[in-house]
Amino acid sequence: MTAPYSGSCNCGAVTVTISAEPVWVRQCWCGQCQKAAAGSATNNALFATDAMTVNGDVAWKGYTAASGNTVEQGFCPSCGTPIFGRNSSRPSSWVVRLGFLDGDHDLKPTTAIWLEEAPEWAMIDPALEQFTRQPPPPPQAP
Amino acid sequence: MPHTGQCLCGQVRLTVDGEPLGARSCWCRDCQRIASGSATVNVLFPEEAVHYEGEISTIRMTADSGNTVERGFCPQCGAQLYSKTIEPAGMPMRVRAGTLDDPELMAPSATIFVDSAPAWAVMDTTLPRYSRGLDSPLLEESA
Repeated sequence: MTAPYSGSCNCGAVTVTISAEPVWVRQCWCGQCQKAAAGSATNNALFATDAMTVNGDVAWKGYTAASGNTVEQGFCPSCGTPIFGRNSSRPSSWVVRLGFLDGDHDLKPTTAIWLEEAPEWAMIDPALEQFTRQPPPPPQAP
Repeated sequence: MPHTGQCLCGQVRLTVDGEPLGARSCWCRDCQRIASGSATVNVLFPEEAVHYEGEISTIRMTADSGNTVERGFCPQCGAQLYSKTIEPAGMPMRVRAGTLDDPELMAPSATIFVDSAPAWAVMDTTLPRYSRGLDSPLLEESA
């Protein structure tokens, strides 16, 4: 399945539709993500915010990451389902948590990051591109 | 020594004065929403051993198991804290492994609700994998 994508939290209070393809889909094993993701990695699809329509209230909470950037988690205040992540270094795009998206989309992580913080028992697909910490930023446009 | 933990923002703190009864990964559809697309990883404790401090939001839902469960999360940062079964009574409480100060306190020893896992999910094939709950058929060891 391709765009548009739709998503819903566990209680249905927040729904999102997205009219574009993601820039990337990554799995993150940093310690903060393990707290946000009930012990596993977060799985994140980066979308341009201008392609998103959000219905319902989203609660946000931020912290300063090791990079110095402000990272904020967006979640449903009624059921706690993680929905978004945003990073001050990427003001025009947010990640959407893969579990939030409905049904039969074909999106899947192609990269796993922050593996140095993954638990011993973590199962990581060897076919994924892997980084011990943050991947380098994409090359600048000429 | 009790086991300790906290949410992402530190508003909720956890003390457990007991040892884990087990740990497992759950791929039910609700858990994938809770775990940002992964399985939840849950460390099981007797409910009376688990003590929280701080403000907690709760929601009661009918889980894929058919049981009535209460799920707790931090209202400030959204971190998922626990799931406990209201009906039937007496089941162990599931503390989300990521909230423990030692998330490796106990490695998962089983994987449940494998039927609803995404195609890209990677699982430890040396552990028992249940199609749904613990009373459902086991998957065969992969060749």
